[in-house]
Amino acid sequence: MNNLYNKIERTIGGLKFAVFIILIFSLMMTIGTFVESYYGTDFANRIIYKTPFFMGIQFFMFLSILFATFVRLPMKKRLYGFYVIHTGLIVIGVGSFVTYIAGIDGTIHLPPMTPTRQIVLNDDVIEVVMPDDNKRASLNLPYAALTKDLDVKYGDIEVIKYLPFAEKVLSWENELAKTNSPNTHSSQYNIANDNVAEDFILSLHPESYDFKASMTMGLLNITYLPKAMARCFTLPNKDKLILWNSVESVCTTTEELGIKVQKTSTGKRFFAIKNGETVYSFLPDLSPWAMDPDLRPIQNSPIRVFSMELFEEKPHLFLFGERAAFYDKDEKKWLVQAFDNKKQMELPWMGFTLTLLQHHDKKVPTYLPKATLPIQKNGQLIKGDFKAARVKIRDNEYWVTNERPVSLLIDAKKVNIYLTKKSFMLPFEFTLSRFKMEKDPGTNSPASYESFVDLFTDSGTSNHHIYMNNPLKYDGFTFYQASYSQDPETGQYSSTLSVNVDQGRPIKYLGSLLLVLGSIWHYALNNRSRKKENDILGLDS
Amino acid sequence: MSKFMQFIAVFTFMFSVQATETYFCTNELGKMPVRQGGRIKPLSVHAKESIKHLTGKSKVGDLSAVEAYCLLSAKAFGMPSKMEFKGKLEHRDTRKLFDGKKEMSYEELMQEQRTIRSAWMRIKEDNGAKKDLNRLLAKVNLYQDITAGNNWTLPLINGSETTWVPLASFLTEEKVMAMKASSSKPFETLFKNVRDEYIKTNGDDFMLEYQYDKMQLMRVAMLTTLLALAALVLFKKFTIALSFSAITLIIQTIYLVMRVYISGRAPVTNMYETVMFSGYGGLFLAMAIGHFKKEKAFIYMGLGYNVCCLMMLNFAGSMVSESISPLVPVLRDNFWLSTHVTTIILSYGALALSWIMANTIIIKKFFSKLSKNDEAYYNDLIYTSLKYGIVLLAAGIILGGVWADYSWGRFWGWDPKETWSLIVLCIYMAILHGKYTNWIPGHRFAHLIAAAFMSVMMAWFGVNYILASGLHSYGFSEGGAIFLGTFFTIQTVILLITLKSSKTSVA
Repeated sequence: MNNLYNKIERTIGGLKFAVFIILIFSLMMTIGTFVESYYGTDFANRIIYKTPFFMGIQFFMFLSILFATFVRLPMKKRLYGFYVIHTGLIVIGVGSFVTYIAGIDGTIHLPPMTPTRQIVLNDDVIEVVMPDDNKRASLNLPYAALTKDLDVKYGDIEVIKYLPFAEKVLSWENELAKTNSPNTHSSQYNIANDNVAEDFILSLHPESYDFKASMTMGLLNITYLPKAMARCFTLPNKDKLILWNSVESVCTTTEELGIKVQKTSTGKRFFAIKNGETVYSFLPDLSPWAMDPDLRPIQNSPIRVFSMELFEEKPHLFLFGERAAFYDKDEKKWLVQAFDNKKQMELPWMGFTLTLLQHHDKKVPTYLPKATLPIQKNGQLIKGDFKAARVKIRDNEYWVTNERPVSLLIDAKKVNIYLTKKSFMLPFEFTLSRFKMEKDPGTNSPASYESFVDLFTDSGTSNHHIYMNNPLKYDGFTFYQASYSQDPETGQYSSTLSVNVDQGRPIKYLGSLLLVLGSIWHYALNNRSRKKENDILGLDS
Repeated sequence: MSKFMQFIAVFTFMFSVQATETYFCTNELGKMPVRQGGRIKPLSVHAKESIKHLTGKSKVGDLSAVEAYCLLSAKAFGMPSKMEFKGKLEHRDTRKLFDGKKEMSYEELMQEQRTIRSAWMRIKEDNGAKKDLNRLLAKVNLYQDITAGNNWTLPLINGSETTWVPLASFLTEEKVMAMKASSSKPFETLFKNVRDEYIKTNGDDFMLEYQYDKMQLMRVAMLTTLLALAALVLFKKFTIALSFSAITLIIQTIYLVMRVYISGRAPVTNMYETVMFSGYGGLFLAMAIGHFKKEKAFIYMGLGYNVCCLMMLNFAGSMVSESISPLVPVLRDNFWLSTHVTTIILSYGALALSWIMANTIIIKKFFSKLSKNDEAYYNDLIYTSLKYGIVLLAAGIILGGVWADYSWGRFWGWDPKETWSLIVLCIYMAILHGKYTNWIPGHRFAHLIAAAFMSVMMAWFGVNYILASGLHSYGFSEGGAIFLGTFFTIQTVILLITLKSSKTSVA
């Protein structure tokens, strides 16, 4: 036994093994950097740097260094430098292991003036929230690079597949719950002129989570309306008011109903309409909703009013699936057009042509996840930036993605399933009180960005200033200025800090110090004669 | 016609009899301060950078960059010039767009802006053709910006406040007409007054950069290095070589100090600076080691490497740009810049010394024979420079880790730059460990050291030019990648053809 150990020690501690393991390590790192450049940092971590195989290589490097030291014991004076170098490496290895086991590495996102204590980590989890039972569970997903079949169960919920990198593929699915309303149609269009071309999908179906009923494209606003509403755009309509009954799916106009539109003392138009027993009054130029006597909007009223005048000034396109309406400024009237036999129509703005690509009354446009290899460009994933998990609940299967949770009822109890990052709560709270950004004079490139935060703890409130190269240390956590984002509408800045707990830090620092001092000792101070140099191995044979 | 326009018309008419009209555009304007790209610099530097960006050269015919830049700006006031101003069409697909032309005047290109932009929009994937169109658009925009009089900024002093206004709004009718009344050279006087006023409130720090640019010390340093090398290798005059080496070091030190003073940071923040610093550091280390070891051969290694670096600085301007620009926020820490980065770059310099010696040996062996003793002697020289290189590299990597830990909260993150520096260290460590096994006999040592330097080049240039830009989209189409590819090819060819001769050493 002892003999076998000696043999292993001499082999792994030997120079040939050292050269071999160093070269394997270098080769893996080289592959890693190329993978990183093509597929992105996260993918490279998942497929190389943080795999058991690569960790194993590092473990054998560690053993090689350790045994190489052991076989050169007892201490020889001329090898002091060598011992210090190798001890330094061993200490660094131990420190890194401590960090790997116990360290925390995450980010905290600070919106302006909002108390925050949630730290987001890098691991993906499935989160199951049952608000009725007040239950919450976190199911860990593996740190995999490629699609993985799983068998993770929580009650009736079973996670069967995990796609760490996926892209969205458009699919027209059958509706899950049958709808009777005629106003659940969806359409796919293309809008193009000489310079730009873009496809877009609009949908009124209640199950369409990925597509909405309105969008803006530069200056052009597009609204998707029930097809039954198209009729009312053609009716003679002096008041330019269309009434829509969403329960019965019919439209009408004030003129058709013979309702008189009056004016308030301040010159605002108003009218009232009786529906069954209820009287709804409207201020059509202010709100589409009916008003109660206190002039508060009644959100659940079945009737809404649509004032066409509001959409005449700016380019506004209304689509009803196979028809379109817009205001012709030259002729000063509303036009309703159908597509020609090539399914195309000319629009009055910037030479745009609109093409109807698809139209479905009942099918639901949905993005389905499909596994893909990611592609990174300038530090950002341009493909594969989408995660998904296939979840089986009793006999039905659902896709949960990082963009869309699944919400459903199990035994009449509400269940929400999210695919998200693992997170945990800090024992104290942060507020971003001010964010300062300085730019290089005369340019738009940031010269520095700084966060001023208020820290609320049990022992009171304190103010801190966090910026590049000036982190905040508190309660074992260290907070670093990492990045920022700006709200495109309000212009307000949010700040992102990276948060970290590293118990291995002092150990790694000590190891580093030993390594550097040892190298200097070994090479500079150890003035060997050439004859002795040949005996550098220190293995007295 | 307003008085101003009349004056301009008369003014231009006065000059149009001459062959190349330069109006008020003289080289003296190079001493004007200008604010561009986030810092204040002399116009001479800004003009040179702009003209070089547009045409690839720092002169336009007989005109200096300042004159050309000024004449372009003068177009904003309707002063015509007969200057030929052409831009290169580099990519095959871009040329196709314009009937295969390789060059076009910027006036024409300006008319074609829409064509270029829509061609750019049509290309969906981010490939070389799209990037070239993007660059072309940027150049046309710059041309347009200059000829509209918006690029050249001038300081307006208001008490102690300085605001910068473009030439187009600076040269107002009143100013020129008022100046015309009192001076026969209204424009020149106007510019001179602005400059004087600026210096009075803000000092003339920018003039240091003017001198720095004018001295062209890197060319002088290359000359002295070449002289030193010639004295050493061709004429075997060691003392002369040593004196020229010392002069080179002094010149480069002056240059570095000026650059540090101008940019306000350690001179290791872009390719140009790292190349220069490593050549300088290599020569310095070589002289220091040579002095203490009483070994003349180190001077040869130091000079050889410095020449390589200086060649690159002087002749590969498109790859290593000389311009000084503001740093990204994360690097703005002079303490770490000047410890971590300088250590790493110095280690590259030391490793390059071993590379020079290794290549010298293998080429020498190819043409003649080396005795075993000579081989051992040369291997020992390589080994000595390796020692310095490796200790510096290890220290540099650790300093980098400490900096990363200090400012990002992680010691190590498998970032390509850090990973490649570790690969370099590992490769040299493998060779050093292997030297004591029978895997690496003495006659193969030099070959391996020459080959190992390719990993340094990969860590230094490859990460920026090949990995960072994304392999998939640009491949080897860009300047830096072409340079690197050529380097790898030549080094590999040298290694292959000398492989057989490695064993021919005689006892």
